[in-house]
Amino acid sequence: MKHSIKRKNYDKIRVMNQAIKINNLKYNYDSEQTLFHDFNLEIESGQWVALVGHNGSGKSTLAKLILGLIESESGEISVFGEKLSIDTVHHVREQIGMVFQNPDNQFVGATVADDVAFGLENKQLPSSDMPQVIDEALTIVGMQDFKDREPHMLSGGQKQRVALASVLALQPKIIILDEATAMLDPDGRATIMKTLQNLKLKFGSELTLITITHDMDEAILADRVVVINDGQLILDGEPSDVFSQYDILRQNGLELPFVVELEAQLKPQPDGYLNERELIQWLSHLKK
Amino acid sequence: MNNIMIGRFVSGNSWVHRLDPRTKMLITFVYILVMLWANSWQTYAWTTLFVIVLVKLTDQPFKLYWDGLKPIFWLILFTVVLQLLFTPGTPVLFSFGPLRVTVPGVINAVYVMVRFVLIILMSTILTLTTPPTSIANALESLLGPLKKIGIPVAELSLMLAIALRFVPLLMDETQKIMNAQKSRGMSFSTGGPVKRAKAIIPLLIPLFVGALQRALDLANAMEVRGFKDAVQRTKYRVLSYQKTDKLAFVALGGFVIIFFVIKELAHV
Repeated sequence: MKHSIKRKNYDKIRVMNQAIKINNLKYNYDSEQTLFHDFNLEIESGQWVALVGHNGSGKSTLAKLILGLIESESGEISVFGEKLSIDTVHHVREQIGMVFQNPDNQFVGATVADDVAFGLENKQLPSSDMPQVIDEALTIVGMQDFKDREPHMLSGGQKQRVALASVLALQPKIIILDEATAMLDPDGRATIMKTLQNLKLKFGSELTLITITHDMDEAILADRVVVINDGQLILDGEPSDVFSQYDILRQNGLELPFVVELEAQLKPQPDGYLNERELIQWLSHLKK
Repeated sequence: MNNIMIGRFVSGNSWVHRLDPRTKMLITFVYILVMLWANSWQTYAWTTLFVIVLVKLTDQPFKLYWDGLKPIFWLILFTVVLQLLFTPGTPVLFSFGPLRVTVPGVINAVYVMVRFVLIILMSTILTLTTPPTSIANALESLLGPLKKIGIPVAELSLMLAIALRFVPLLMDETQKIMNAQKSRGMSFSTGGPVKRAKAIIPLLIPLFVGALQRALDLANAMEVRGFKDAVQRTKYRVLSYQKTDKLAFVALGGFVIIFFVIKELAHV
C-alpha cells in the first residue's frame, strides 16, 4: 500500500516535469497524405529543444497541433499533464506562447505597445496594470525605447522581438518559435538568438523553449535537438550527439552547422562533435 | 504607392495628437456636416481657415497632406470638369456645341474642388494624428449605445482597427508585386483600357492570395494570444476627456457659430 502511494507521487512529479507529451499522434493533410503516424515525443519542463527538419517535414504542423490550432486525427497531446481537448484548449494556450515566421502577419496592434497589450486585453488585465507589464516585457527583449513606434518603422528583427515581448507579457511556461528567424537578415537573426539565450539565463528552468528551425546554427544553441522528417522522428539527443550523425542529417535534407561541416571535412577528424571554441582549441593543439 | 496617406498614422506630440480620439472624430464629423451648408466664398474662406489652423496645430510637414490629396486628384478633376461643363445659367463665358461654360459653373467648380480638398484634409488630420486602434476605440465608445440593440460594436471596431493596420502593408505589397511584374516586362501604363485592365489581373491574384494567407496567419496569432471574442476584453488605451478636449469643443462651437453668422451676413 505504502509503496503504491509513493509510486503515485513519483508519477505526479514526473508528469509535472513534463511540459509536453505527445502520444501516438496521427495527423493527415488530406485523405491520401499521412503526415504523423504514431508519433511520440516528450519534452521536459525547462528544456530548450530545437525541432529541426527541412521544409514540409511537419515541424510547423506539430506546433499548430500542440496549440490546438489544428485538430489531430487521433492520439493524445498533454501540456503539463493536461490533455488537450476542446474544453481545455484555451487553458492550454494560456501556458504556451508562440512566435510565428512572418513578422508582419502577427503584429496586431498599431504600435509596439498596442501589440503587446493585445494579449493582455484578451486576458482581461485591468487597464491600469498594463503599462508596467508592457514596459517589463519590452525591456526583456530590449525594445523599451520603441514603445510608440508603428510596425512599418521597425526592422524584421525588431518586429520579432516585439512578438516575443507580446508572448512574454502573458508569462507562458512554454514558448514556441516557429521559424521565427527565417525571414530575417543575419543581424536580426543574431539579435533574436541572443535574446533567446538571455531569456534562458533569466528564467532558467521556469521556461521551456521550443525553437522550430531548419537553420542548424540555431539548433546548436539548444539543450536537445529533435530531427523530424515526413512526420518521423529521425534523431533525438544532445546537439553534440545529433550533429555527429553527419550522414543521417544529410540524408534528411539538412545542412550541417558550419562548425560541424568543417569537422566533417577535416582529416584527421575530431572524436565526435566539438563546439566552436572546442574546435579552435583542438585545432591549435594539432598545430603543436 | 508609399505616398498614399489614407489611414497612415504618424506619431507625434502635437496638441492635436493629444486630443481624445472621440473629440477628433466628433470635430471631423461636425465640421464636414457644417461645411455642406457653405454657399458663399466667405463661408468657404472661413471653413478653409479653420482647416489651415488645424493643419498648423498638427505640427506635421505639409507634404504629408499633399500626399493625402494626390490619390483623389483625378476624382476631383472629373467632378470639376462636370461642374464646369454642365452647370446652366448666365452669363455664358464661352460655348462649343451643346457645352457651355457659365460663370455659375466656374464658381460651382471652384466650390466643389474646395469642398473635396477640405474633406480630405480634415480626415487626413484625423488619421494622421490618431493611431488606428484609437480610432476604432473611439468609434466603439461613440457607438456604444448601439450595443443595446444587438449590434456587435466591439467586434466591428476591432475589425476596423485590423483593417486599418493592414492598409499600408497591402499597399507595400501591391508595389512589390507591381515591381516584380514590371521587371518581367509587364506594363501597367501603356496600351488601351482593355489591355490595362488585363494587366491588373496578374496583380490582383497574388495580392488576394497574399492577403488571405496574412488573414490566416493573423487569426492564428490572435488565437494563440488568447483572443476569444471582442466583448470580453479590457482596454489598454482608456479614453478620458481632458481639459484640452473641452477647449477643442469650445473652439468647434465658436467655429460653427461664426460660420452661420458669416453665412447670414453674406446673404444680406
